[in-house]
Amino acid sequence: MPDTAAEKKPPVRPARPKGPNLLALLRPYRPLVALLAVLTIVGNALNLAVPKIVARAIDAYTQGQLVLRPVVIELSAVAFGIFLFLYLQNLAQTLASERVARDLRTKLVDKISRQDHAFIQQVTPATLLTNLTSDVDAVKMFISQAVASLIASVFLIIGASVLLLSINWKLGLSVLTVLPVIGITFNVVLRRVRKLFMQAQQAIDRLNKVINESILGAALIRLMHSEQVEYVKFVGASGAARDISLNILRLFAALIPVITFSVNLATLMILTMGGRFVINGSMTLGDFSAFNGYLSILIFPVIMIGFMSNVMAQAGASYMRLSMVLNAPEKPPTGTATDTLRGDFAVRNVNLTLGGRNVLRDVSIEAGAGTRTAVIGPTAAGKTQLLYLMTGLLKPTSGTVEYDGRNIEEYQKERLHAQIGFVFQDTIVFNLTLRENIAFSKTVTDADLEKAIATAELKDFIESLPDRLDTVVSERGTSLSGGQKQRVMLARALALNPRVLLLDDFTARVDSATERQILENVHRNYPGITILSVTQKIDAVKDFDQIVVLMEGEVLASGTHTRLMETSPEYVQIHDSQRSTSHYELLRAQ
Amino acid sequence: MTPSEAPATTNYYALSSPAGQQAAHKATLGAALKRIAPLMADEKRTVALAALAMLTSSVCGLLGPVIIARVVDDNVRRGDFAGVLRWAAILLGIYLVGLVATYAQTLEMGRVGRQMLYKLRNAIFTKLQELPVDFFNQNKAGDLISRINNDTDKLNVFFAQSLMQFASNLFFMTGAAIFILTLNTKLGLVALAPALGVIIVTRLLSAWVKHKNLESLQSLGGMSAEITESLSNFRVIVAFNRLDYFRRKFDAANSQTYTASVDAGLANNLFQPIYGLAYNLAQVAVLAYGVILIGEGQFTIGLLIGFFLYVNNFYIPLRQLAVVWTAYQQALAALDRISAVLRLESNLLVVPSTEAPRPGAVLEFDGVTFAYPGGRDVLRDATFKLEAGKTYAFVGPTGGGKTTTASLMARLYDPTAGRVLLDGRDIRSCTPQERSRKIGFILQDPLLFTGTIRDNILYGNERYASCTDEQLLALFAERNLDRLLTRFEQGLQTPVAASATTISLGQKQIIAFMRTVLRDPELLILDEATANIDTVTEQLLQQIIDRLPASTTKVIIAHRLNTIAGADEIFFVNAGDIVPAGSMEQALDMLLHGKRAS
Repeated sequence: MPDTAAEKKPPVRPARPKGPNLLALLRPYRPLVALLAVLTIVGNALNLAVPKIVARAIDAYTQGQLVLRPVVIELSAVAFGIFLFLYLQNLAQTLASERVARDLRTKLVDKISRQDHAFIQQVTPATLLTNLTSDVDAVKMFISQAVASLIASVFLIIGASVLLLSINWKLGLSVLTVLPVIGITFNVVLRRVRKLFMQAQQAIDRLNKVINESILGAALIRLMHSEQVEYVKFVGASGAARDISLNILRLFAALIPVITFSVNLATLMILTMGGRFVINGSMTLGDFSAFNGYLSILIFPVIMIGFMSNVMAQAGASYMRLSMVLNAPEKPPTGTATDTLRGDFAVRNVNLTLGGRNVLRDVSIEAGAGTRTAVIGPTAAGKTQLLYLMTGLLKPTSGTVEYDGRNIEEYQKERLHAQIGFVFQDTIVFNLTLRENIAFSKTVTDADLEKAIATAELKDFIESLPDRLDTVVSERGTSLSGGQKQRVMLARALALNPRVLLLDDFTARVDSATERQILENVHRNYPGITILSVTQKIDAVKDFDQIVVLMEGEVLASGTHTRLMETSPEYVQIHDSQRSTSHYELLRAQ
Repeated sequence: MTPSEAPATTNYYALSSPAGQQAAHKATLGAALKRIAPLMADEKRTVALAALAMLTSSVCGLLGPVIIARVVDDNVRRGDFAGVLRWAAILLGIYLVGLVATYAQTLEMGRVGRQMLYKLRNAIFTKLQELPVDFFNQNKAGDLISRINNDTDKLNVFFAQSLMQFASNLFFMTGAAIFILTLNTKLGLVALAPALGVIIVTRLLSAWVKHKNLESLQSLGGMSAEITESLSNFRVIVAFNRLDYFRRKFDAANSQTYTASVDAGLANNLFQPIYGLAYNLAQVAVLAYGVILIGEGQFTIGLLIGFFLYVNNFYIPLRQLAVVWTAYQQALAALDRISAVLRLESNLLVVPSTEAPRPGAVLEFDGVTFAYPGGRDVLRDATFKLEAGKTYAFVGPTGGGKTTTASLMARLYDPTAGRVLLDGRDIRSCTPQERSRKIGFILQDPLLFTGTIRDNILYGNERYASCTDEQLLALFAERNLDRLLTRFEQGLQTPVAASATTISLGQKQIIAFMRTVLRDPELLILDEATANIDTVTEQLLQQIIDRLPASTTKVIIAHRLNTIAGADEIFFVNAGDIVPAGSMEQALDMLLHGKRAS
């Protein structure tokens, strides 16, 4: 859901036009990466020493000078040295990769937590989940597998190339012409593949979304017996993911054979050209076989790079996606005011456009500290958005929201949120204990908690639970009834000891008797609190200081119940629609 | 399920409970392949093709050096350049065959891996669809997503990249081992001894390595669950200044994942150095014992040099197996987590009924008792009948059991004791199709799927799925539903997303209402279904309900009195009891003066 500021920019912004620099990511881990490089090179050098020692031993034996004992000791020492260095290298790359992954996740979450509600809605939680899991994993894979291999490969390729050129520069040069061919092949494939990897991750996003919706809608799907519908959706997304990965496969399946073939062509070149040189006497047979030997040393790192290019392409695509989140513009909070609110609030000429729709049009509401205001109106009138504006979760397209005569923007966010209790319309409970759910804000004392629970009429219920306040609520709050969840949310807002209480249709699922009781409790336990209540039930707010009729985003009328009954036909219509119950109200008053 | 069985099955569906993790399978390749085999059944031909391609490319790879050695001896040394060119042409042909074969092998085996990943994901999703609501109450969305995405991918990596490598390496190693042993049995045994040691160490370590990988995947699933919960509840986190909560919860999950991954990484990385060590020790042994054998006159120096080459041929593929083995342990751990879901069975199966239908009531509760897993009884011995065409209201304090009663009517759960009868038949003998056709249930929390309003209204509705927008609008007009659509700016084509807050709760309830009414249910259950809809619109909904066929039975759960004012009969649900309230006045009296359960 784009908010006003987010709407000005296009939804998908290429963070960096070129591929982001994966190596830059490694900069803070320089010592560890350097250690990794040293361990890799030493390990590889030791590996190269083994054949040398064996060859020397055999030479010595043929000359009859072999003393077996020191050779065995030396060789065993080298073997254990290789074991040690290889393990240390693995240790270093595990640590480096996991650290990068951990820090990257921390950075991402840090960034996300500095963004507003609109950002999360716009990017969608499904995408952020893919970012934090499989995108970070791809980068991690790059470091754990590719970095050391690349270092070793480059080391070997350079070494072998130098040796080739030093033996016979003409043949050496012609053999090395395959390297640019390989380089170009890589480049072409990787460029195409990076796009595909982006698409693949997007397909995973979609897959996540379908799974998530099918989990949230588990009850609905079972009631409608629409398992098949969900399956078709899932197979669609899963099939798309498969098809993209098959396209990637087709490119990569070609890459490695093409590289091997190029190297084989180099072998042919040595055979024909080198053969000719040997025949016409410009090259010795020993050098000829050495050429072949060094070429085989060249092959392995080249193939290794081929394998790693897959990992690199995937990591590159993932890091690009991560960069989009990491480089998203921030809106630093500007407010500094930390005053304790009296509780006056004013909404002045507010317009709000969301997704091209005018949700609120020139809305103005004013209320003094300690007063009670109700907003009433049909579904989709913009009531909820009005409350979002008043907490700063949304920002008005034009107009201002003020507390105590001061623009909401001037207040320090945390301080403001600590004084405004917002009871959301849809139930949001965390997989925590009831105590943690209610005392969700950090500032809540035990006394605050007690008072909030009593006010929300939750005391009896909590007393009836075996673990009382330590009862853990399940993720989607399924262990609580609808009304209980709403009261938990009310208690959560009240526990702040707020100066202003924003209620979004909070009693929709609470029976009238409880609702009345709760409103009385709030009045008694929280004297002087300013209340703004969005509601459907006129009866509960009849005695409020002010009732605002909001329709289609516009304020049609406002005033006391009596005044509105005389002046607002829309209000009278709403009132009449609830009149069928009026004779029961008499009964209730007894 | 009888009450006495209940404790044993308390957390049957909780994957994170110790019982849920008890998927102790033998860590053998055979067992793993057996579990995966059904998914590969259709791929036999592809696997065979890939194997053939692998064989061809291996042979081509082996032929190259042999030919070159020959050319050097026979042609280069003799100055026969024409011969060199002839052989070069043959070699080029072999390289081309190798090119095609390697391409085919990678492609075909990759295809098998992807196809299997696709099938496995679909199989888990199908299983998720089979499992009852209870399962979703006991597990976290993020962890389930992680199982479907990350864990299946680990299997894919193993199948696409490692399995063929495993096969081809094994092929090479067997050949080399035979060669070594025929060349000189004694020296061969000495050369292969370190490999035996490696196999023993591998067997000993495998269970531990798999366990470490399992822990790592579990913590990844846990982190995924944490992220999912926090991001979907971000509004509350912002409004209550608890970004620190988000960060702290995440940090804890993050560092746990870090520790578990490092542990798993260290375990996984143990194989490679050990296999390398075995290789080098084999060389030491061959050198030492070979020199001794030569000294005893049983061996020659030329043979020893050749022997070293064959030892290389055996140990280099073995060293590569270390990497494969790690991928294999990860795949096994992932398979455990996937199997934990796949082995669950729904406890809401259709059971054939032996009794003749009891005519009379549309729906009947016969001594129904119900408790959620591990909880107290929510309903106790409830008995009542609902007759065709009547309207019933269920009132009572929150937490009294109203939603549970409605859920039992639609068999979202089975009673712990007693029976629910639909049209005189035990509801457990009705197929899901029958149930969903007869019962229209509008849930308390409406859910919209990503798509358009049209998609959502026609969700699961096969009858009207192919209607054009015009036909649909005409259909709406017939049923008075058309006026509800005016609440949406772009009508049927208004886009919606499940997670977005652009559509209000009231609007969602309107769509859920239209969705259900359009299916012409015989039994319509409204569980607080209009709670967030304004009273003027609600009157419209009432008119629509009134115009439903006279035979439609309606069950209404609501707090707003006007919603239930027209009921034929009112039931008072409180503290596990469902009692007829007689009149509206009586019901009100009970509500006001009766002891509340909550």
